Amino acid sequence: MTSIFRTASLPILVALLAALCTGSGQAAPVDHGALNGAWDRYSTATLDPRVTAAAPVPPPPLKPMYQAEWDAQQKAAKEADARGQPLYGGYAQCLPDGMPAMMMAMFPMEVLQTPGQITIIEEAYNQVRRIYLNQKQLPIDDAEPGFWGHSVGHWQGDTLIVNTVGIKEEVRFRGAPHSPNMQIDERIRMLSHDIFEDQVTVTDPQYLTMPWKFTWKYVRKPGYKILEYVCEANREYQDPQTGGIRMRIGVPGAAGSAPAPAAPKP
Amino acid sequence: MVNLTGLGVRLASVAVLLGAAAAQAHHSFAMFDHDHQIKISGTVTHFQWTNPHVYIDLDSTNDQGELKHYTIECANPGILDRIGWKFNMIKVGDKITTIIAPLRTGEAGGLLKLVTLADGRKFENGAPAGKANIQ
Repeated sequence: MTSIFRTASLPILVALLAALCTGSGQAAPVDHGALNGAWDRYSTATLDPRVTAAAPVPPPPLKPMYQAEWDAQQKAAKEADARGQPLYGGYAQCLPDGMPAMMMAMFPMEVLQTPGQITIIEEAYNQVRRIYLNQKQLPIDDAEPGFWGHSVGHWQGDTLIVNTVGIKEEVRFRGAPHSPNMQIDERIRMLSHDIFEDQVTVTDPQYLTMPWKFTWKYVRKPGYKILEYVCEANREYQDPQTGGIRMRIGVPGAAGSAPAPAAPKP
Repeated sequence: MVNLTGLGVRLASVAVLLGAAAAQAHHSFAMFDHDHQIKISGTVTHFQWTNPHVYIDLDSTNDQGELKHYTIECANPGILDRIGWKFNMIKVGDKITTIIAPLRTGEAGGLLKLVTLADGRKFENGAPAGKANIQ
């Protein structure tokens, strides 16, 4: 049991035991404040037998001309790993996920509900997205491209309906290219007192043959306080020869440490 | 009535699956040789508690009496906090023993698998980094 308690935090286990004993979470009245608090991703049904696990995210349904490029990228990444020179990219560059990838909740996530706004904070890379309630979405041309875009939402019964536009073209989930017109629609609802889901639909007729749909689920992490995350002093750098990730030996700037790596290739 | 034995089994599989999911975090660990782990003991010269990685710098003297400096990559403060590490539990001058997956380049560095502190306490490096396969 020791390893279980090291992996899953005690408060979650206690909450689950309480839920199993009381049978709470069955047909609860709609509580639009229930999203408040800290959450972890819920990736397996065994955590609460009443809620199935989220299915793995399927590959992007890209049009053939983009599919070939995507396949080549996946192959290159696999081959680079096999050579022991993993490709240099986003995280090693200290870049955050952006949308929709931030919602996979690599690390714990916090939801704050305040009048007119729902704010979601992801611990990894200090990511913050703001969902403005009951406002009209901006025309694409007015939505300044960013990592998290511009999100508006409204409640439809027990479901929070969210639309997001304005994602930078270089912010790519699973390496999938997209156009400036990409729309991300989400349907967020509580499945029990301690579990909620986010059904995501990515629509982009220019790049996708059909909408790309997947679901993430989250389990409450009672009492958890989100940590700060500043990406600083990363000793991983891009090898100018291979383009892969290297790790610098020694404290940067200290006597005897390896020289600073050459500037990465543009 | 809750079947606690059944719940225990279910939670145990949760722990395993959560580990697998967490293993997708951050990036590939392919630059480290996980199959040929080595043990390095030495004196801490620097402990860097930062995101996206924590680093331990270590001076180690080998059997031939040669001093070598190692840099050891650890997970990040969040992952380590959640498995019981503390930001100040390793200090310059501490004598520690580590098991690492060495860099495939042959440079003096690697990914931490297990650290044994001067007081004997042992800490792993979180699910994504994986476990030690030597003692």
